[in-house]
Amino acid sequence: MMWLSDIRIAVASLKATRVRTFLTIFGIIIGVASVTLVLALGEGAKHSIKSQVALAGGDVATVRPGKLSRDQQGDVTGYDILANFNASTLTENDIQVVSTTPGVAAATPVMGLRGSVSGGKHTIEDTQIVATNSALPQVLSQRVKTGEFVNPDINRNTVVLGDTIANLLLDSDQTTGQQVTIRGATYTVIGVLAHSDTPLALNGLFDSNMAAYVSLDAGKAMNQGLAQIQTINFRAKDGSDLEAVKRAVTARLRAEHKADDFAVISSREALSVTEGIFNLITKYTAGVAAISLLVGGIGVMNIMLVAVTERTREIGIRKAVGATNGQILRQFLTEAIIMSLVGGLAGVGLAGLGAFAITFLFALPFTPIVTWGIFGAAISVSLFVGVLFGIFPAIRAARKDPIVALRQLQ
Amino acid sequence: MRSHPVIELTNLSKMFGYGDATTIALDNISLRINKGEFVAVMGPSGSGKTTLMNILGLLDTSTHGDYLLSGQNVGNVSSRKRAKIRRTKIGFVFQSFNLLGRMNVLDNVSLPLMYGGKSKLARLHAASRLLKTFGLQEREYYMPYQLSGGQLQRVAIARALVNRPSIILADEPTGNLDTKSSEIIMHELREIHKRGNTIIMVTHNPTLTVYADRVIHMLDGRIDSDSSERKVRRRNSKRSLGGAVEAKK
Ligand SMILES: Nc1ncnc2c1ncn2[C@@H]1O[C@H](COP(=O)(O)OP(=O)(O)OP(=O)(O)O)[C@@H](O)[C@H]1O
Ligand SMILES: [Mg+2]
Repeated sequence: MMWLSDIRIAVASLKATRVRTFLTIFGIIIGVASVTLVLALGEGAKHSIKSQVALAGGDVATVRPGKLSRDQQGDVTGYDILANFNASTLTENDIQVVSTTPGVAAATPVMGLRGSVSGGKHTIEDTQIVATNSALPQVLSQRVKTGEFVNPDINRNTVVLGDTIANLLLDSDQTTGQQVTIRGATYTVIGVLAHSDTPLALNGLFDSNMAAYVSLDAGKAMNQGLAQIQTINFRAKDGSDLEAVKRAVTARLRAEHKADDFAVISSREALSVTEGIFNLITKYTAGVAAISLLVGGIGVMNIMLVAVTERTREIGIRKAVGATNGQILRQFLTEAIIMSLVGGLAGVGLAGLGAFAITFLFALPFTPIVTWGIFGAAISVSLFVGVLFGIFPAIRAARKDPIVALRQLQ
Repeated sequence: MRSHPVIELTNLSKMFGYGDATTIALDNISLRINKGEFVAVMGPSGSGKTTLMNILGLLDTSTHGDYLLSGQNVGNVSSRKRAKIRRTKIGFVFQSFNLLGRMNVLDNVSLPLMYGGKSKLARLHAASRLLKTFGLQEREYYMPYQLSGGQLQRVAIARALVNRPSIILADEPTGNLDTKSSEIIMHELREIHKRGNTIIMVTHNPTLTVYADRVIHMLDGRIDSDSSERKVRRRNSKRSLGGAVEAKK
């Protein structure tokens, strides 16, 4: 019951200084919104990766250039991300080796390039060009919507488009047979992939809805004749043990390479690594964003200290009519907490809007998600900020000597 | 007349400051005030009247000496306990009214009840009933800045009474008021006194001492004279004088 009175008094006091209350709350809003937004983006990315693994199933694995680090339990702790940017250790022969390994249903390389693609309607200056073979849809669980997938046996100068990019470039009624220009050369569209809801592929982090797929030979032609294969993905045959197939692939590749300059990772392992990386990035970014929350908290403390000084006489009067130090403390602490809680709620709301705007403006391949966990965390953090930065001014208010306080001139 | 000492000070002193800058605001005061007395405290500026009131009202503590309030030593009780005693046994009336400017009359009057944990309904009800006896029921929802000085002081007196305290401490309650308003305030105080409350009032106005049945003069932190010690008989004559003033009205 007493808390109700506390809240009523606090709201009345905060209303009396509307403008500065709002500005103080605004500081908290910005802090909470930025932290929440970062967490929501991280959550969205993780969610997207997870659903791809679920989609790919448990029988897909990837061969990457570079060494892999594992902990004592044999769990993957990280891999050499930079290997993607050096000359790849994976060769065209390796594709052959992997796909002919017993237990492998199909293997597909991913050679990622970037460049401009233009069609009848539009030019996209910089998008993902994926050079691969005909097994990609089967291995990475993509579906061909119209036409067929790239097939080096037919024609080198053919291209298959992701759903989004096809809509952007071409008049939609008759896509196959149209001409597009990729990095200056002309290609004929032979197919369009079905739209993928989880387009952020595990392997090269490309957006399959926005990619243009060409044959490996075409990719090599764009890269001075060199095959820069970033990953070779393979699917194990139904009913076979993926771990056993991985061991077989590893053994055969090692015999070819005579070195440990590659790594074979199942999509599950890739998930845990990628998730770990995302967690790390999210944590650090949220940490940076938390600085703005800290600044917001200091704003609350600042304004509360001003309020305590301004309202010294009020404190004296309240004490004279029988308020205890504890009751005065609660009154001022409640004000601080209300400001930070309102700021927290509005901040989460703003983060939701921001997430929507970012997805919309930057055409993110995943949707930021404000989970109940993030919501709860944001609210408890703002509660914590209110207590942390409100307690010192409140203690100051409570400790005011009523004699001195009553003598303050108004 | 009953004569339980409701207030009993023994060799009480109050010092402000340290070392060379020490001010002796109260100098070894001993004082008994009985239940139901109306005491007027007079004396020149700086003689320690306000300091005495603050200590009596547990807003301040003495440096030396004992203070028994209703027989209980309150010299070194916790600040929490002192707040509770202020809330339940003492009502303050100040020269400068000291109402909270952002609250309406009704909320101001009910404030002491809030700290006593009464429900909002109960305290507004009690405050409203009290304001009616002061003829202020139409002003319940006025803000303090909309009232005259005399009205403000009546609201302040209502606030002092809302907890049904046994002691009213009034420090120059008419100091900021004109003669007419002062008279109204003094009548209110006398009514309260008649209902059995102990009233201790500081005043600079000698004519107001007619309302009191005991006058204490202070000088340099000491009690210079006390009418109850000099002539017990005079109390009776003062009483009749007070009655005469009332009859005149
Ligand atoms: N907080 C304080 N710090 C230092 N000295 C003080 C303090 N309060 C009062 N004094 C001193 O104590 C003495 C008594 O002050 P007090 O306010 O009790 O006088 P008073 O009799 O109420 O005077 P007035 O009639 O002007 O109100 C004065 O000398 C004053 O300067
Ligand atoms: Mg004084």
